[in-house]
Amino acid sequence: MHRCLKMLPLLSLMWSCGGLAAAPVFEIEIRDHLFFPSEFTVPADQKVKLIVYNRDSTPEEFESYELNREKVIMGGAKSVIFIGPLKPGIYPFFGEFNPKTAQGRVIAE
Amino acid sequence: MLLSSVILVLREVLEAALLFSLLMALSRRLTISCRWVFLSLGIGLLGAAIYGFNIDIVSEQFEGVGQELINAFLQIAIYLALSVIAGLSLAHRQGRKAPPLLITVLMTLCVALAIVREGSEIMIYLSGFLAVENLRIPVLAGCAIGAAIGVSVGAVFYFLLLNLETGTARMAGAVLLLLVAAGMASQATLLLIQADWLPAQYPLWDSTWLVSEQSVTGQLLYALVGYEATPTALQVGAYVGSMLLLGAIAWCMSEIVRRRAQMPAHGGAG
Repeated sequence: MHRCLKMLPLLSLMWSCGGLAAAPVFEIEIRDHLFFPSEFTVPADQKVKLIVYNRDSTPEEFESYELNREKVIMGGAKSVIFIGPLKPGIYPFFGEFNPKTAQGRVIAE
Repeated sequence: MLLSSVILVLREVLEAALLFSLLMALSRRLTISCRWVFLSLGIGLLGAAIYGFNIDIVSEQFEGVGQELINAFLQIAIYLALSVIAGLSLAHRQGRKAPPLLITVLMTLCVALAIVREGSEIMIYLSGFLAVENLRIPVLAGCAIGAAIGVSVGAVFYFLLLNLETGTARMAGAVLLLLVAAGMASQATLLLIQADWLPAQYPLWDSTWLVSEQSVTGQLLYALVGYEATPTALQVGAYVGSMLLLGAIAWCMSEIVRRRAQMPAHGGAG
């Protein structure tokens, strides 16, 4: 029992290192209610860390039914969203506050 | 802008309105005064404003996932409150006097938290776009229409529940409470996965062919019972597990009420 307890910090360290190593980072921007780039390719079958910079003064909500994600990003702020692992395919996302213009897609391959 | 405002506000209002209606119908069934609704609206709107206006500070916490954690916490709090409400109403139906004050407080809490969660997004949206002069009218009109539709759907749902036969209503009320609570738990799980606090997974299935999340049915099911077309194993586990846990909490609560009722009555309901 004690040995198990001693293993706990080590296990949690391995867990977090594994998580860090496994998540490549992708950055996108929101400008004038548009995503830049509006289309980008991420590796399939692994977790990806998405950093979204909102360069507009107005807030935006990153939303995707296909990715099952939803997050408010205030004007001038940045936000972290973890996505995946994704099977190869195309995953649309949009800005819920400006859905007519703010459209994009993640391609997993 | 008008149409996107309608859809945005409708989606947010719907979730809170359906929970609101379910609990209002329940409190009518338990013959508890519905005056708590005004208090919960007040607290909820105030909380939504405070949360909404501080979302940038919240978002920066915990390496940029503060928003997910707070939202997950709100969902879990609603889940727990619903579990205790379920237990107290179970005890009530078995003919034992459940403390009405406690039920009222919990119902107020549930609805207020749901309004904080959903209302804060509307506050953020409004605060962002009301500042843009040529958008002011379409955004306000869109929000009003969206809110009106959401509240109307909630009202229809409320009267549907009230007009059921007593037996059917009990069954429907219990099942709905269970599913709504499980939806909260599953959404909290999803938020924790998004924040990378729970391990990322592939979806267990894809039922988009059956009910798309973007369809009206999908949106209604999402708002009511937390429907997801592509849930992960953790979410499904949370859904089923939270239903079992709710059953256990409800049973314990009704036992506690039963034991208290068996004791010599001098304290009244407290």
